[in-house]
Amino acid sequence: MRILIGNASLDPRRFLAAYALPIALVLVAASFAVAQPAFLSVGNLTGIVHRVTTTGIMAIGMTFVIMTGGIDLSVGPVMALSGLVAYFALQAPGLPTGAAVLAGLLAGMLVGAINGLAISFLRLPPIIVTLGMLSIVRGVALTLGGPELHQINGQPSYTFIGTGFLLGLPFSIWIFAAVALVMIFVQVKTTFSLQIATIGDNERAAYLSGRRVRLVKAMSYVLCSLTAAAAGIIESSQVYTASATFGEFGTELDVIAAVVLGGTSLLGGRGSVARTLVGVLFLGVVNNGLNILNVPIDVQLIVKGAIIVIALAFSERVAARNQT
Amino acid sequence: MPASPETPLLQARGLTKRFGSFAALSDVDFVLEPGEVRGLVGSNGAGKSTLVKILTGAHAPSKGQVFLRGTPLPAGAPLEMLEAGIACIYQHSSLVPSLPVLDNVFLGRQPTRRLGFIDRRTQRERAERLIAEHGIEVDLGALVGNLSTVKQKEVEILKALALNARIILMDEPTAWLSRSEVTKLHRTIRRLKSQDVGVLYISHVLDEVFQVCDSVMIMRDGRVVWNGLVSEIERQRLVDLMVGEKLGAASRAATHQERKPGGTGEVRLSCKDLTRRNLFTGVSFDLHAGEILCVAGLIGAKRSELVHSIFGSDRFDSGTLELNGAPIRIHAPGGAIASGLGLVPEDRHRDGLFLAHSVAENLSMVALNKVSRLGLLRRAEMNGAASRQIERLGIVPQDASRIVGRLSGGNQQKVMIGKWLEAEPKILILDEPTVGVDVGAKAEIYTILRRLRDQGTAVLVISSDIEEVMTLSDRIAVMVSGRILSIHDAGTITQDELVARIGGAA
Repeated sequence: MRILIGNASLDPRRFLAAYALPIALVLVAASFAVAQPAFLSVGNLTGIVHRVTTTGIMAIGMTFVIMTGGIDLSVGPVMALSGLVAYFALQAPGLPTGAAVLAGLLAGMLVGAINGLAISFLRLPPIIVTLGMLSIVRGVALTLGGPELHQINGQPSYTFIGTGFLLGLPFSIWIFAAVALVMIFVQVKTTFSLQIATIGDNERAAYLSGRRVRLVKAMSYVLCSLTAAAAGIIESSQVYTASATFGEFGTELDVIAAVVLGGTSLLGGRGSVARTLVGVLFLGVVNNGLNILNVPIDVQLIVKGAIIVIALAFSERVAARNQT
Repeated sequence: MPASPETPLLQARGLTKRFGSFAALSDVDFVLEPGEVRGLVGSNGAGKSTLVKILTGAHAPSKGQVFLRGTPLPAGAPLEMLEAGIACIYQHSSLVPSLPVLDNVFLGRQPTRRLGFIDRRTQRERAERLIAEHGIEVDLGALVGNLSTVKQKEVEILKALALNARIILMDEPTAWLSRSEVTKLHRTIRRLKSQDVGVLYISHVLDEVFQVCDSVMIMRDGRVVWNGLVSEIERQRLVDLMVGEKLGAASRAATHQERKPGGTGEVRLSCKDLTRRNLFTGVSFDLHAGEILCVAGLIGAKRSELVHSIFGSDRFDSGTLELNGAPIRIHAPGGAIASGLGLVPEDRHRDGLFLAHSVAENLSMVALNKVSRLGLLRRAEMNGAASRQIERLGIVPQDASRIVGRLSGGNQQKVMIGKWLEAEPKILILDEPTVGVDVGAKAEIYTILRRLRDQGTAVLVISSDIEEVMTLSDRIAVMVSGRILSIHDAGTITQDELVARIGGAA
């Protein structure tokens, strides 16, 4: 219970506020199921989770950054970069797949480290640093890979990541689930996460309490870029392709939307990985349901935008009420 | 109803405010006459803030009504209350620091010409007329952020007058003012009085209530327990009524304690010639284990800057710091804490607390390693430690999961101190540990600090409250304009001598 609601009491209004998102998720899913019974098929439900895998993994990392009161706009190009780095590493003869994956992840973490250093140690605003990095990393990816698509052929162990099955489920869902479980544990149980949240609540108080504020903040950006790199590797292996154009503009917005939908305030402070995951699923279900109902893509975009704004307005009101 | 001489300016009848089953305010009646300064005193949580919120329209009362010259006022309507002439000046400034005084005075209600352009000439004329009428001295062109705190309060008063306020509520207006500034503010209040403005003056500083108020009402547990003229009540009786007999006795006991100048004689912390350009110069003193050393001085004597430099959250240019006789370099609070130092900062909201986090989480943030293993939190130990600290400090309510932002000021202060007690520092520095804290909680904090001292902790307290310095200290250092002027054993200096020295007398 604690994972989802923190300190909510049994006051019905607070209860409703704390569970609004899961309740909304169930209601939306139920109405899609009524409109189109095929929605509830095992294949469709698995498909929903499969489709939100990359966004979901990135949203987990982004949750920590937003909890500090920061933001990371550079996740999209990091996806492209890590896929390309892994692709080129795979071309090196004799290098095991694991090493190629590691190279891709390290490339992402390097970007995160630069973000973190600039934000924590040079005290630059996160939105500016990561906006700059959005462009820089895209440029680096294009320099590295050029505009063309790079086919990943004859690498069965690499492509298994995105296309393989384990116990009847896509392997990437298992990865998503593992990352989710580990990161829920990290968020609920570790001093790292408590420090992240308290930094977002009052950075100066955290500093005066002897916390290594700059290091912890920088680590949140490394973590966020690491999840983006993991998402990039999953995507490239899913489509047997690496390209500098992956993680196109708008990727970061979907990720941030899921986090905000999950109730993590953009001002920092409290946040929850579990709630972010509900936000991810919510967006995934809405997307899928509208597809099943053959709602055209333009209308879908409008609906998605409206949901995000309404959810944000709602969560800010709840936050304001809880302050008094 | 026409205003007759008998109709009071402001009258509250049977004001009651319930939050769920909890009554924050029960059946409160009072009147405020033109030209009356009425004190409102009570412990944290007595219902003072709730009453202010009803009078400003921020809350609607559950029962009862407010009348202005006999006419009932709408409930829970902030704009109508302002228009009726009820203005409020809060502890923290509500001005825009980057705008000039003139714009602040008329913010949101500038006189306009056609097309909504601000009529600067009318605005200035009106402001100048107000200044002349009320004798407030302020430069209308100056940026508010550049003004002293007391001038900012006067700008707020001016702003209230520009709204034709006839009733001004002042909520802890002197919490951030120095002594001479308080005197200035009181002069302004007396001038308002002569203009027939009614003032409701809320303060924890009882001396001020006796200085400036005509009448006083005492609240406890949401009720008015005493209401009458200031001349009719003794100070001690007022304290007893405020906090209840038992706590009153405890607070009396807390003011008469043996003193231990020099503590155990063991020098814990030694500052030698600490200098930070333009802030403090040649600061030298020894702090002993088992003593309370108070640094007395006026706001602006650079005492906070000094302790932040010692603690590593700021730097100093020259001089040395010795810990147990060995020189030490501290670069960040983390290092200071590892060396056994602790600092309870002055501004609990800005520097001290995580308002969106629970009491248990706040209490564990300094000594995080005590409630975790290998980076994993042990919630059970965390809650256990928190419960012990809640018990020890008398934090109310006794709920470790309570969000700190929802606690009253005194309890927040205790949480901030408790966070440091958890770390068991060898040297604890406290910067204005009882600002905005009621008499009862104050006495409890003194008891906590004495207990620490008796356990051998070296305690350094910065205080601008002379009474506090006289009550608490074993030794007193007087700091004026960035220099330590003299150090005295408590008991060898009288309050009057101390006041004179703080003021800069040789």
